[in-house]
Amino acid sequence: MSKLFAVALGILTAIGGFVDIGDLVTNAVVGSRFGMSLAWVVLIGVVGICIYAQMSGRVAAVSGRATFEIIRERLGPRAGLANLAASFLINLLTVTAEIGGVALALQLATSVAPGWWIPVAAFGVWIVIWRARFKLLENVTGLLGLTLIVFAVALFMLSPDWGQLAGQALQPGPPSDEPVATYWFYAVALFGAAMTPYEVFFFSSGAIEEQWTKQDLAKSRLNVLVGFPLGGLLSLAIAGCAAVVLLPQAIDVTSLSQVVLPVAEAGGKVALAFVIVGILAATFGAALETTLSSGYTLAQYFGWSWGKFRKPAKAARFHLSMIIALLIAVAILATGVDPILVTEYSVVFSAVALPLTYLPILIIANDREYMGDEVNGRAMNFVGQVYLVIILAAAIAAIPLLIVTGAGA
Amino acid sequence: MTENPDAFQTDAAPPPAGQVLDAHLHVLDRQVLDRDDVPVTTADDLELDGIEVGAPIEPGSPRPTVSAILTGPQLVMRLFGGHAPAARTIRIPWRLVSEVGTVIHLGVAGDALDATWAERWVSRHLIGRIPGGRHAPE
Amino acid sequence: MLLSDLLDSDAVDADGRRVGAVIDVRLEVSGAPRQLLADTVVTGLLVSPHSRFSTWGYERRDEDGPLLIARFQRWLHRGTFLVAWDDVERVDEGRVVFRRGYTARDAALPRAPRER
Repeated sequence: MSKLFAVALGILTAIGGFVDIGDLVTNAVVGSRFGMSLAWVVLIGVVGICIYAQMSGRVAAVSGRATFEIIRERLGPRAGLANLAASFLINLLTVTAEIGGVALALQLATSVAPGWWIPVAAFGVWIVIWRARFKLLENVTGLLGLTLIVFAVALFMLSPDWGQLAGQALQPGPPSDEPVATYWFYAVALFGAAMTPYEVFFFSSGAIEEQWTKQDLAKSRLNVLVGFPLGGLLSLAIAGCAAVVLLPQAIDVTSLSQVVLPVAEAGGKVALAFVIVGILAATFGAALETTLSSGYTLAQYFGWSWGKFRKPAKAARFHLSMIIALLIAVAILATGVDPILVTEYSVVFSAVALPLTYLPILIIANDREYMGDEVNGRAMNFVGQVYLVIILAAAIAAIPLLIVTGAGA
Repeated sequence: MTENPDAFQTDAAPPPAGQVLDAHLHVLDRQVLDRDDVPVTTADDLELDGIEVGAPIEPGSPRPTVSAILTGPQLVMRLFGGHAPAARTIRIPWRLVSEVGTVIHLGVAGDALDATWAERWVSRHLIGRIPGGRHAPE
Repeated sequence: MLLSDLLDSDAVDADGRRVGAVIDVRLEVSGAPRQLLADTVVTGLLVSPHSRFSTWGYERRDEDGPLLIARFQRWLHRGTFLVAWDDVERVDEGRVVFRRGYTARDAALPRAPRER
């Protein structure tokens, strides 16, 4: 069990990146419209985030510096501020969506309207950030979030035609009834979701919360290699379930109930109970991750004292900024906006913020002043630069695709 | 250094007598931590003592020194240009610096500095008033 | 005077001809000893003929990775040189004037310590 807890940080980070409320819905939408033909994007995304999370974790462990401190130092205050503004906005939109997602999951469980759950969810997120130790937060949400494996179980129980699924995956390209631009829009959205900057902000800050040092490099690598591929597999399982149940019947995914429909079909009430617990844990975990990331990025840019390992009175502005972020999230949700629509937009904007986040990480991972002997090897640098090109391409294509396809309508 | 075909002939610089730092590369925008490793601020600018604008420099006159790390409204000035009135800039005298590496370490506790007044204010008047704010997380 | 005032100034020689922009200020911790550190003195200015600022320093250090970025940065900041403070005649608003016959020195930094 303690071995499992050792990788809790990686699992929790991956949950926020691959199966938060926005991803749950996007994966189901993708499965219901494109089958498995976008599976290759998830694969590319998983490799990308593994590489960069590993780099930022290594930098945090060896030099003690979290990613956003490095962004400010390497990019300078202007570009750093641009990144801060974009990242903070994305974080805020995502926090809003996650709190909404928690409320939606509670609605699934209790049939009480989500409007009542929103303040409860926001308060729950805050009280955990205020009082719970980081390790506890990590272990509980990570472990409970793993119940989303029920999607994979359900996929098996549905006895799908594996050949057909594999065929879809190996033939990348839009199906005949979907326009090419929309296919690529979802490709960029999935890639942006897999490599969302708050994942590395959270992972590197979490490494410092857990006080990793040079001795913990193996642990850091393990966290990355267990957490993110697991997240990718869950993503694929969700898409697979949708491909098997929703695609043939042309069911549109418009709410959380369609997302869980395949699981209910496969395993009845028991499976449904598991998946609701999983969704609740995953959205709550993602809410924690993104709220903390808002605090981390602001504090690290301005040089404020931060960290859950300090008592709140010793990291006052850090905690204040998170409280304000949660209040704004509740205010946005009170206007009645659909939280899931909010995430679809924020996922695309995160694709735009990617280059400003990942370039400094690659630079610092090569800097001997920070890393001593633990600088990147040639192979890591090569793959890192290849991914920079992919990231740049996705960032440039994101907004035009958003406009042309009307957000994937 | 890799051979640069564009390089013109330069003389060697004299050997350094102490740690060599490039101000923008090594000091600006780095974190400033106090003696207990608690973050104080980011170094937004540096104050140099001994340079008079417009005045000719006599050969052999003493070299300028770094007198303070600046923060506060200094960041806005660096982003957009212009100068803040001297009274509003927050100074951390350079003589308080004990080490410059990937971060700048001070030899004093942060609470003693002007630079931490905003943190102390928020701590005392807002965060400290919420129940549990003064306790370590459990 | 503020560091940010010096940075990005035009560097001109004694004839008023622009030779580049001041991209950095070289410091040395070697002045009179104080309680914690010795005084940190300005030993020179780094001038780049082709660029206005350099935040990564590839042109002054022998870090080589990542390869494409290092190559591009070295090209961008090619010809960067160091001018000793003794060769500075005058500092004006937005402009630094060097003495006649100033020496352009090697901008390379001493090697970074390998042990963390």
